[in-house]
Amino acid sequence: MIAYLLRRLIGAIPLLLGILTIIFFITHLAPGDPLGNVGPNVPEEVIQQMRRNLGLDQPLHIQYFRWMGSFLRGDFGYSFAQNRPINEILPETLWNTLQLTLIAMVIIFSLGMLIGIVQAVRQYSLADNLLTFLALFFYSMPGFWLALMFILLVSVKARQWGLPQWLVFPVSGMTSVGAEFMTPWEQFTDRVKHLILPATALGIGAAAGVARYMRGSMLEVIHQDFIRTARAKGLSERTVIFKHAMRNALIPIVTLLGLYLPFLLSGAVLTEQIFGWPGMGRLIVDAIFQRDYPVVLAASFVISAMVVFGNLLSDVLYAVVDPRIRNG
Amino acid sequence: MRYPRRILQLGFTLLLGACGGGGDDGGGGADAGTPTLGGTAIMGVSADFSGLNPVTNSAVATGDVINQMLFTPLIQYDQKLQPVPYLAERWELTDTSVTFLLRNDVTWHDGKPVTAEDVKFTFDMAKKPETASLLASAFLNQVKSATVRDPRTVHFTFEAPHAQALDGFYWAPLPKHLLGNMSPTELGQAPYNQQPVGSGPFKFGSWKKGERLTLVANPNFPQALGGRPNLDQMVFRVIPEATTMTTELLTGTADALGFTLQPDQAKQIEAQRSVTLNHYPSREFHYLGWNNTKEPFTDPRVRRALAMATNRGQMIEALLQGYGQPAHGMIPPWSPMYTATEGVPYNQAAARQLLTEAGWRDSNGDGILDKNGRPLRFNLLINTGSTLKADLATVIQRQLREIGVDAQINQVEFQTMLKQHKAREYDAVIANWSLDNFKVDPTPLFSCAEARKQGSANRTGYCNPQADQLLQQGLRATDANQAKQVWAQYNQLLQQDQPVTFLFWSEDLGAVGPRLQNVEMDVRSKLVNVEDWYIPANRRRS
Repeated sequence: MIAYLLRRLIGAIPLLLGILTIIFFITHLAPGDPLGNVGPNVPEEVIQQMRRNLGLDQPLHIQYFRWMGSFLRGDFGYSFAQNRPINEILPETLWNTLQLTLIAMVIIFSLGMLIGIVQAVRQYSLADNLLTFLALFFYSMPGFWLALMFILLVSVKARQWGLPQWLVFPVSGMTSVGAEFMTPWEQFTDRVKHLILPATALGIGAAAGVARYMRGSMLEVIHQDFIRTARAKGLSERTVIFKHAMRNALIPIVTLLGLYLPFLLSGAVLTEQIFGWPGMGRLIVDAIFQRDYPVVLAASFVISAMVVFGNLLSDVLYAVVDPRIRNG
Repeated sequence: MRYPRRILQLGFTLLLGACGGGGDDGGGGADAGTPTLGGTAIMGVSADFSGLNPVTNSAVATGDVINQMLFTPLIQYDQKLQPVPYLAERWELTDTSVTFLLRNDVTWHDGKPVTAEDVKFTFDMAKKPETASLLASAFLNQVKSATVRDPRTVHFTFEAPHAQALDGFYWAPLPKHLLGNMSPTELGQAPYNQQPVGSGPFKFGSWKKGERLTLVANPNFPQALGGRPNLDQMVFRVIPEATTMTTELLTGTADALGFTLQPDQAKQIEAQRSVTLNHYPSREFHYLGWNNTKEPFTDPRVRRALAMATNRGQMIEALLQGYGQPAHGMIPPWSPMYTATEGVPYNQAAARQLLTEAGWRDSNGDGILDKNGRPLRFNLLINTGSTLKADLATVIQRQLREIGVDAQINQVEFQTMLKQHKAREYDAVIANWSLDNFKVDPTPLFSCAEARKQGSANRTGYCNPQADQLLQQGLRATDANQAKQVWAQYNQLLQQDQPVTFLFWSEDLGAVGPRLQNVEMDVRSKLVNVEDWYIPANRRRS
């Protein structure tokens, strides 16, 4: 197992370098450059000088080797748009995004699995039908629309209806103005309140999707012979469902988990946009529009690394939940 | 991020409807009572600021914060856009030079006095080509050198005389004692720009990137320049989505917002009782650019005919909801240099006639005019991401179709569009232009010298020696009235030639919530009297 992991990890290195090389040339081949956004009134000489200051006057292959050299030394360089080292920008933004996406992931999988199991166990009951309806509803609604509806209901309307303070949520941002003067506990609750709306808007649609997978997979398992055997042995229903059925039904969910991992660090543009959350999604999209090459590359590196490791992790998790794969 | 704008728009209407009854009383903006000290105001901005450095900054919103809050420019503007003393207490102006006497009571936020050395240092830094400073190209292009006479006196010489020479000095010095050793190429990335020591009425507080910038009142700001601002703190919150930002304003979690309102959003805001809409002239005009180097636009008659076929009034009413006025040249109606110019009238019959004179007629009966077998058909280039430009293109396409001209809209991503526009690889384009300052200078857009340069701002390739002559006269005139007359003639000539068809000057649309009082916004800046803003004690946030 360890040898297998090592082999996969070492294999990932040329893969990542290849991805970065391709992205480097694609972003530089796209029309325009980071100075396209300075006003039209700026004389060409000034733009040429700015280009020299940023090292963009060098031939492309020189720029590539320079960038690759500093990347291999762990330095992503400077953001052209923010004029700050990326090694300063990236940790801040990643942490902002992680707070949001981790909570969203918890919502997606705990809620999704729970609903799926309930539906499978109570197949064709009123609860099953109702949950199917709700799941399809949330699954079909675009995230940004849900986000706006959440703002409407629990920020705007809640304030007008005079609901208690703990039911009124802030519209946007990560913290309240003046949060730096709060006690640690107040700061924590403030942050949680700011997180709930965006995390729910981000997670609920995907949770509905996971619920559908879980229900289908559970139903398939629940009608198999070994479940009947377990029941015949006189095991309690709880043991049958959670120990025997659920574990076997988890395999497709584990695949999903692996697919969702990159999302942890790539963020979600629309949700971040609406809730004013300074995360990776906004960083990347802004960087692409501004042709901020170093930021595009750094962010692509983070995301492609997550895709590679997400796949690896879900392969490992298969082995954990399914002994057949481990032995094979 | 200009995403599903239309759908978000729906949300906007819903949210606004929901907020309708929410306001507690009449809107802010107007003066109600006596200003009191204290309180924190929150202003929503759509994008984060760039480095807070007067020399390397190139963003308009950042420039506002630099010139109105953090730093002390040599001059400021009064309401008539005439330069008035600010850091410079008085000056002696001649045709070839200006000598500024600086105030002795302005200090850097670390306590050191602001001196003539700082001013010269900043000038020299900006003028070095390696700095690539926009200050140098936009403001100081006609200023040759600076000499320090004594710690309070600095003398500048000009390259050439100009009627509005003082307008070149709307910029603030940097502290020499903190940046004296900085190499010009690295000034843009200096850590200083992330937490500047300024000299203005507000001091730098803190900056969480992508989230908020906090500035605090400077208690030591000289009384003669307005003294300590009324507010304790000013917080700029980055809220990229206009719908969210407006909701924050309506729920009272933000006090003011600027930049981002679309005209239809502004219309809806205007109907809200608790919020005041501030609409004021912007420095930006939109125009329809013709590629003067390419058939059929090499013929001024064709350009003039197409101008006659575009109905600006309809665009302003329908697309800007009335927040704008027609443009007949690049001198805005609010400029002291403005003379009302008769624009080319909207007249379809005259347009058709002019095209017939130029040899364009519909010989094959397909509804499109043609000449020597070539139909009057062209590509109209616009960039994606701008609803206004897309709508404008549709309107223009329809208006031109009525006189038998076929405009095919070609919408491409912004940077791609820019590249084609710069390289003159287009037929016609819808673009906008924003004035850096109040100095009249059409050189970059319309001079022959720029027309000959590759990738210059003269993207139409327009060159008329007669216009160039007037241009030189206008720039060299030192008497304001004389200059104004020359510019009026120049404008008239541009109307004849129509290198571009000027469409309209749009308005900036900002809004103020019920807490904040005494807010003025005008063409100078949306922060023009920020030190006078105040929040009555009973309306402050707990």
